[in-house]
Amino acid sequence: MPQRSVAKKKTFGQWIKSRKGQQAVVIFAFTVVPLILLLTFTYYPFCEMVKYSFYKMKYVGARTFVGFNNYKAVFERDDIVGALKLSLYYMCGSVFQVALALYLATILSFKVKAGNFFKGAMFFPYLINGIAIGFIFKFFFTRGFVFDTVLQWCGFQIDNLPYWLKDQSINNWSLVGTSVWRYFGQNMILFIGAMMSVDETLYEAAQIDGANKFQQFRHIILPSIKTIVTLNIILSITGALSAFEAPYVITSGANGTGTYFVVMNTIAHTNQKVGLASAMAVFLLAIIFVCTILQKLFFRFVFRNANEEDGSKETKVKPQKRKLLKQQKGSDVA
Amino acid sequence: MSKKVLAIFLSAVMTLSLAACGNGNKSASKDIDEETIQYADIEVGKDYTDIKTTIHFYNSRTDMEKSDYSGKQWKDYVADFNKLYPNITVEVETDSAYADNALIRLQGGDWGDIMYIPAVDKSDLSTYFLSYGDLDTMKEEIKYATAWEYDGQEYGIPCDGTANGIVYNKAVFKAAGIDALPTTPEELLKDLQLIKDNTQAIPLYTNYAAGWTMGAWDAYIGGAATGETDYMNQTLIHTAAPFTDPGDGTHAYNVYKILYDAVANGLTEDDYSTTDWEGSKAMLNNGEIGCMVLGSWAFSQIKQAGDQPDDVGYMPFPITIDGKQYATTAGDYSYCINVDSSSDNQKAAMVFVKWMTEESGYAMNEGGITVDKDNDELPDTYAEFESVEFIEDQPAVSGEEDFFNMLNADSELMVNTGGNQKVQSIIEHAANGDKTFDDIMSEWNKAWSDAQETNGIEQKY
Repeated sequence: MPQRSVAKKKTFGQWIKSRKGQQAVVIFAFTVVPLILLLTFTYYPFCEMVKYSFYKMKYVGARTFVGFNNYKAVFERDDIVGALKLSLYYMCGSVFQVALALYLATILSFKVKAGNFFKGAMFFPYLINGIAIGFIFKFFFTRGFVFDTVLQWCGFQIDNLPYWLKDQSINNWSLVGTSVWRYFGQNMILFIGAMMSVDETLYEAAQIDGANKFQQFRHIILPSIKTIVTLNIILSITGALSAFEAPYVITSGANGTGTYFVVMNTIAHTNQKVGLASAMAVFLLAIIFVCTILQKLFFRFVFRNANEEDGSKETKVKPQKRKLLKQQKGSDVA
Repeated sequence: MSKKVLAIFLSAVMTLSLAACGNGNKSASKDIDEETIQYADIEVGKDYTDIKTTIHFYNSRTDMEKSDYSGKQWKDYVADFNKLYPNITVEVETDSAYADNALIRLQGGDWGDIMYIPAVDKSDLSTYFLSYGDLDTMKEEIKYATAWEYDGQEYGIPCDGTANGIVYNKAVFKAAGIDALPTTPEELLKDLQLIKDNTQAIPLYTNYAAGWTMGAWDAYIGGAATGETDYMNQTLIHTAAPFTDPGDGTHAYNVYKILYDAVANGLTEDDYSTTDWEGSKAMLNNGEIGCMVLGSWAFSQIKQAGDQPDDVGYMPFPITIDGKQYATTAGDYSYCINVDSSSDNQKAAMVFVKWMTEESGYAMNEGGITVDKDNDELPDTYAEFESVEFIEDQPAVSGEEDFFNMLNADSELMVNTGGNQKVQSIIEHAANGDKTFDDIMSEWNKAWSDAQETNGIEQKY
């Protein structure tokens, strides 16, 4: 008791010099700079944007408060709703992209001839500037240019080939193809990185148990890298909602390829409807939130099932190993 | 003590120098009257020859700095200027991203003495730029005086003037069997069909993919389609349905209808979604393209883009109003002078601008219309425009200056201000056949009149 009363009598100066005080000072000093940067450059502008979404305004000049009119317009305008539908193309693309990346990553994580060359070659597109990719593919898809020529080598007749960017039933797939080509390499490298951390002895044990490559993938690799898979899918879907570079550079959003971002850019910068564009941005944020939460729930459900199946099927596995697996799982969750 | 002496000495000097000015000759009085350097009063080659200074000229013509530029380069203009004014050094700085960077440099204030006026509001002109004189005087000196006028003062002098028509390949038109240039939309479409039937060339190249080349169509709905000087800035804002067919082959309806019909009848390039602007210049030059609808600035570029510069021609837009064809002419980028420069630099800058306008031959070299009021010479760009009347758009009525921008923004048609998508949509609908031209026009009419209602702008016509 007397000790405590002594501690209470400490002046501020003493407290600040004490170990606890120093801790507090250091924590404060180290957090305040990033916090200020975060608040001034992220949260403050964001709050301003939310405020703008309730006004009818241009970049300069007078503003009028219009309440929720901008949000109503977001739902009523055909071009905005149509742009959201376009995201479905990119979402399909992103699912395909993750699947492709996972497949190639699995192959490359086993012993493959010239594996490093293939890794490099497939990762390479991600290193090219997005605008440059746009220009490359503009020529790639031009009638009678690269793509058509290659297909003609394969025996196609040019008259039977579609116009890759003109035909509105196919031009969005062309653009999705471009973005898959660009990003799957990055997904693949992330997957390979995660797969390398899988304990080699598990493969050996599985081989001894007679598991084939697919079973190894399903029961060893996939559960071990589920965090990365989830992350990649979330990033790809969010990326699909905010697809911009390919349609902006290749088709400038014309001919029915204007994605949400391209339409938003036109509304904000060409038409100078800053309020409406801000409302679109806030709405997109809400969609991304919802998508992310839904995916989280979905994957929690899927992977729990997968693990339970694991448990029921892996009765052959020695109890010791199961304990090991469980420990790993525990550390994963932590 | 010494401080007092210095003060007395200084004040004595100042009084004396003031008195000297009062009694002094004409040039001295000009010096002290720095507020009123007047463009109209300057006699190029005689006034201000004693000024020794360096002025900085910031502009967008990067091509004119390159040694392979086929026209006259900046350094040659400066050399010519220095023959008259050897003591004024002109530094030229060019910028390939001028439109964006100029606004930033303008805010910073450190841009030099002369620049091209970027997209600033007219009400801000006097904050940044020096007045050349009052509007009435300037109207006697230059064409396009109203373009950068605010409150009766003139802040910008265009480097040259342009008029809009159609760039075409003379050899292709000849090979197709076309003797006389078209003067109506029907004649043009007939000629395009002839080109398609008789030659290998693409009759009309839309340049759809580049975007801004589509917005270029907006330039013809004013004077060229109506023959009225007040249509663009005064009538259009009060017209409830400006995209209606007037039935006589004129007005905006018939301008855009040319494009729709050409695409619908297959008179344009095969795959519009992958057009290539840089390549199209050479193709027109070589006779692979019949014509392109672009401003006169494109004429000289296309001439230089290939081996057959003599085949490239420029014709008036084929709309005839009561038997006469018109072309709207407007100033290009305008020279302005920094209001914060020193008095000597301002004088030197104004001398340079006046020299560029009157003596340098810049407009003729660049294939533009001269800005000097007394010079009616036409460059060979406009050889086919002999029977065409050049008209200048009148400015908006005072109090209505912002109406056009408001309507453009709210209707999202963005006429003449980057409304590329609306023109692109004409091509899409014509190619896919999913909307008739009249449907598109009535949509635009509705957008326009809705915007008028939102902003409370009276519909008079």
